[in-house]
Order: sequence, then C-alpha cells, then structure tokens
Amino acid sequence: MSVLIDKKTKVLVQGITGTQASFHVQRAIKYGTNIVAGVVPNKKENKHLGIPLYKTVKDAKKKTGATASMIFVPAKNAKDAIIEAIEAKMELIVVITSGITVSDMMEVKEKLKNSDTILIGPNTPGVITPTEAYMGIFPDIFDGTGNIGIVSRSSTLTYEVILEINKLGFGESTVVGLGDDFIIGSNHINIIEKFNKDKKTKAIVLIGGIGGYYELETAKQLLNIKKKKPIIALMLEDPTPLSDMNSISSEVIYGDEYNTKQRLELLKNSGMIVVNNISELKEELLKL
Amino acid sequence: MNIHEYQTKKLFKQYGLRIPSGVVAYTPNEAVIGAKKISEKGPWVVKAQIQAGSRDGGIFSDKRAGKKGGIRLSKTIDDVLNNADSMLENMLITNQTGNKGRLVSRVYIEEFVKTVRKFYISLVIDWVSAGVFLLAIPVIEKNEDSKTLLLDKSSDVLKLNLGTQTAITKEQLDALISFMGEPFEYKELKSFINNLIKLFHDYDATLIELNPIGVNKKGEIWALDAKMCFDTNALHKHKDIVALADDAEIDERELIASKYGFQYKELNSGIGIIVNGDGVAINMINEAKNIGLDTACFLNLKGGVDRDKITASIKLIMTNPKVDGIFINILGGFLRCNLIADGIIAVANDLGLNIPLVVRFEGTNKDDAKEILLNSKLPLQIVNDTTSGLCMLKKAIEEDF
Repeated sequence: MSVLIDKKTKVLVQGITGTQASFHVQRAIKYGTNIVAGVVPNKKENKHLGIPLYKTVKDAKKKTGATASMIFVPAKNAKDAIIEAIEAKMELIVVITSGITVSDMMEVKEKLKNSDTILIGPNTPGVITPTEAYMGIFPDIFDGTGNIGIVSRSSTLTYEVILEINKLGFGESTVVGLGDDFIIGSNHINIIEKFNKDKKTKAIVLIGGIGGYYELETAKQLLNIKKKKPIIALMLEDPTPLSDMNSISSEVIYGDEYNTKQRLELLKNSGMIVVNNISELKEELLKL
Repeated sequence: MNIHEYQTKKLFKQYGLRIPSGVVAYTPNEAVIGAKKISEKGPWVVKAQIQAGSRDGGIFSDKRAGKKGGIRLSKTIDDVLNNADSMLENMLITNQTGNKGRLVSRVYIEEFVKTVRKFYISLVIDWVSAGVFLLAIPVIEKNEDSKTLLLDKSSDVLKLNLGTQTAITKEQLDALISFMGEPFEYKELKSFINNLIKLFHDYDATLIELNPIGVNKKGEIWALDAKMCFDTNALHKHKDIVALADDAEIDERELIASKYGFQYKELNSGIGIIVNGDGVAINMINEAKNIGLDTACFLNLKGGVDRDKITASIKLIMTNPKVDGIFINILGGFLRCNLIADGIIAVANDLGLNIPLVVRFEGTNKDDAKEILLNSKLPLQIVNDTTSGLCMLKKAIEEDF
C-alpha cells in the first residue's frame, strides 16, 4: 500500500453535485480513483455522474465500504461536513474547500484530537499516488510514478517543483498537499513518518509555507526520529511580508525561532537539507 | 482586516472593559474642542490613528512634527493643538509601516489616566496548536518625560495556552496574578480577561493586542491601547466591522483585488507578475532578482473561477504605470487556464497591448488556453517554464526601450 491512497481506496465525495466538484470528480474517475459514493444531505436524485448518492456519510460508508472522504462543500457548511466525516470514523479526509474560518477550523481540530482520522487540508490540491489514484484537484502534470515523496504547504509551488524535477527524470511516489491555510489538519511530520515506512519512497521533498511555523514544529519532532530518509526542504525567503501576523506576538510565541536565519538553522540541525530555490533543489536531488 | 484604535476601544467599552474617555478629531480645531469636552485642564494624550503598531517609537516624514512619535502627552490645550496640528495630514513611519509610512487622517484625544504599572497583554492564535494564547509582558517606561514605552523582553514572558476555552480557568488566573504581582483585584482581572476572550471569539479575531494596559493604585485595569485584527474569511458575519474599513489605509489596486477575493501586492517598479499562488510568486520574485529584474507588483488569482473578476484584475496590472513587462504564470488546479486566456484577450481588446507579455500555462485546460491565445494573434510570447519565461521577458523589455 502506498502512502494514504491507492487505486483500491474507496472514496466518497461530500458536496459532489456542485459545479467545481462535478468537474474535478469526473477527472479523478478518469485518472483511476475509485469513487464509490456521493453525499448530499438534501439530495433529490439517486445518482450523480453515475455515482450513487446518500444523505449521510455514515450511510454511504456502511453501504459502500468507503474509507476516505473528499470534501467540496462550500466554506459556510464545511465545518459540519468535516465533523460528520470525523464522527463517521473515516480514515482519511481531504478538504478541498477554501475560505473556512479560523474559528471553524479550531473546532475541527478540537474534534480531531480524540479520533484516528487523518485530515488533509483545507485549501489543498489534495493527495495523489501517480498512475493509481488521487483525491483533489491536481492538474495533469504527472508523467508516471517514481520514488520521491512530496509534502507541501504551497499548492502552486508543488506543481512547479513536480514539473521541474520530472524534466530531470524523477517521479513521485505520493504527493501530499497539506493545504495553504493558517490552520491545517496535518503537519509535515505526520506525512514524513509515513514516507519513512513506505518502501517505494527513497527521498522526501518538503515544501515550506509562509511563516514557517509548521516546518519549525516538524524540525523539532524530527530530532527525535533516528531512522529517516533524506529530506530536502524548499524554504523560500519571503521578500515581502505577505502574512499579517503581528510581529510582537509572533516573536513572543515563537521566540527567537521566528527569526528567519535561526529558523533555517534549526531545520538544518534536524537533518534536513535546506534550499531556497528550485534550481538548488534540483542540484541536491541529483546528488542523492 | 484591521481597524483603528478608537474603533477597537468602542468595542472594548461594549464588552465592559475600562477605557479612558476620548474623542476623534480630523482637524486641530476639532482636537481642541474634543479635549475640552473630555476635561477642563488635562493632561491629555494625542494619538495618531494609523493601522500599524509601534506608533510611539515612530517618526513623522514632515519635520514640522519634530522628533517625537505618534503618541504624545499634552499638558495644556496649546500642546493638544500643536500636537494634533503636526500629526494630521503627516506620514507616520514606524517599524511596521514600511519606509513610506501611513497618512494620519485623524487623531484620537484621550484623557490621561495615571497608572502605577503597565503590561503588554495580547490574545493571539497559535496556528500550529490551533488554540488561543494569552501573552503578558511587563512594560517599562524609558523615561518619565517622553512616556515612551518599551517591552521588557529581558524579563519573563507569560504564555498561557487557552486553547478554545471561553473563559480563563482558576489555575491560569492564579498564574497570571502571581506573574503580574500586586496590586490586583482578583475579580477585576478575571472579568477583564474573560471579557477580552468573549470579544475575541464573538468577533472572529485573530489578534487582540493591548500595548499597554495600565493598573492604577486601586487595582483598576485600564485599556490604554487597543489593536484588533480579524479573520478575513469570517468578515461576512461581521458587517459592523466591514463598515469600519478605512480604504485610505489600503492601496487602491490592493483594495479592488481584495474585493474580488484576490491578492495584490505592490513592491517596486519593474515586472508585473500574475500567478495563482503565493509560493510561485515568491519563487518568481527571487528568480527574477537573480537575473537582474525587479518586481513592481504581483497579483494572486488564487482559485478564481469568475471570468469577469479575473479580467478586471488582469487590468489592474496592465494599467499600473510602474510595470514595464508582464509575466502571467498559471499552474492551474482549481483555476482553469482558459479563463485566464479569455481575460487576457478581453483586456487587450479593451486597452491594447503596449508592453511585453509572457504567458505560461500548465495544468487544467492548458491546451485550450494556448489555442485561444494563438488564435488571437496578440503580440505575446507563450513559454513552457518560469526560468525561460523570465529571460524572454528581460530581453523583450530591453528591446522595448
């Protein structure tokens, strides 16, 4: 089994009847994703795109054996949809929706604490095991498969990295977009642990997000892991303060680690190879 | 989104927090009338209203304001008049505003409240743990005269993890009290913190910062300063906050883009970048710099799906006089490349295409998009990757001169 998803994974889709969802679900089915059910609480039809519809996640799971849920529900109702999927004990939830409020995500994270569910997103391109299946909205940029595992906090940069490294003949085992929002379901470290156990993955590319908070936490936890695969971390230096995080409070919460130089130093100390542009990333990959 | 100090204080008052009485003034004359309304003989504090911190340590661009910052103790009515006069219509530059500074369009006149000790207090979200933190730091006064406040970072900082709690626990309150020391009224501090927490959650705040609060001899807590930031995704729930938006605080193009749900950032002058993700923008800005190209601005269309909004936003870059060449670099996932192609053509038909334009499409509907552009016969170049696109744009800009 590859990381998180393969062609056998039974996937249900919450909010499947929306325009965007329909478009991307059709593409995913064509790619090979085993989509077995759609969930629409106020459904009027029994099928959409040939896929059977159910009113609840619990019912869809029971009838089809789905283990993973892909969520396209608009931001306003996304929290309820995610919590419904957590309560139905879905193993994997991938939330594509963007614009979910911070307070809704705080509630979701609270719910997640007492569950075994893996939540990816929100605001993510999704999870893909190339040539097998994907949950998400990935563009058609994969040539085939390979042995690089990618975990990323930046959607478009992920596409850029894949296009560039595949030109060199590399391929990906699994790609996980953690999501571009401030609060996300999983951190890099959760996925790195899975890549470490995955036979197919030989090296990991980590793509950092603005602020670098999740990367910092990952570095701290990496210090406790002895056996690990090589990790190349792409940490772009932000030429302009893009986030409106307040400087005093961030300094206080994250201490001196908030300082870019020291943050990168900590990442290096944890064993990651840190690069700050795609050309450098390619050079380091070729060295492995 | 941010609001002004005096607006935040109005919210504080509604939530039962103790604030000094104050009046907003747009002219020096209004400042004088306001001061007299507050008290007969002062002293007062005149505070520049801009939506950025560190005002006290800031400096005004016009020298008529002298060397003092944007928060000034004023002992007489003449002081109020002079201070308001020198701040208004002046640019205040602080370590949070950038070199240009922000225009002071209004000042806030406040009664001076005598306090014996001051603290920095904030409620802020820690993204990684997805919870709220209460931070407290003692504040020392640099000297009695200027009343300039400094965070005493050498001393201990109290960090309390409130998570998603709606009130402070007894243990947390005990920790806070022993950190802050006497004189403190237990009940006063408890209700002060709990009111702040309620305000934070009720209004979907991402930050409430009081730099500082003051404590007087009686143990009363005064909110001497107030700063609040809100979750942009939750603004639809808070029409009263949206109504407070001060458009003068935001760049005009930035404002238009944000109304469409996109992100626009102005940097220097040079190339204009249109992307659909922050990461790609930052990578491009860095790579452009490596080959000697400066960036004027970038537009992030995120996962936009509305054709008209996309078109209107492309226009923002095309009409920016600081832009001498444009690179549209789209790696479509949710966003479909053909919508961008339609937008380019619509804008070019409307305004003409007078500067070099390089376009790269990858991902969703890229072939359709390329065909649309090729059929349009517009004088633009289609490239396959970022690096070659930047080189091509550089060459085109040089030939254009």
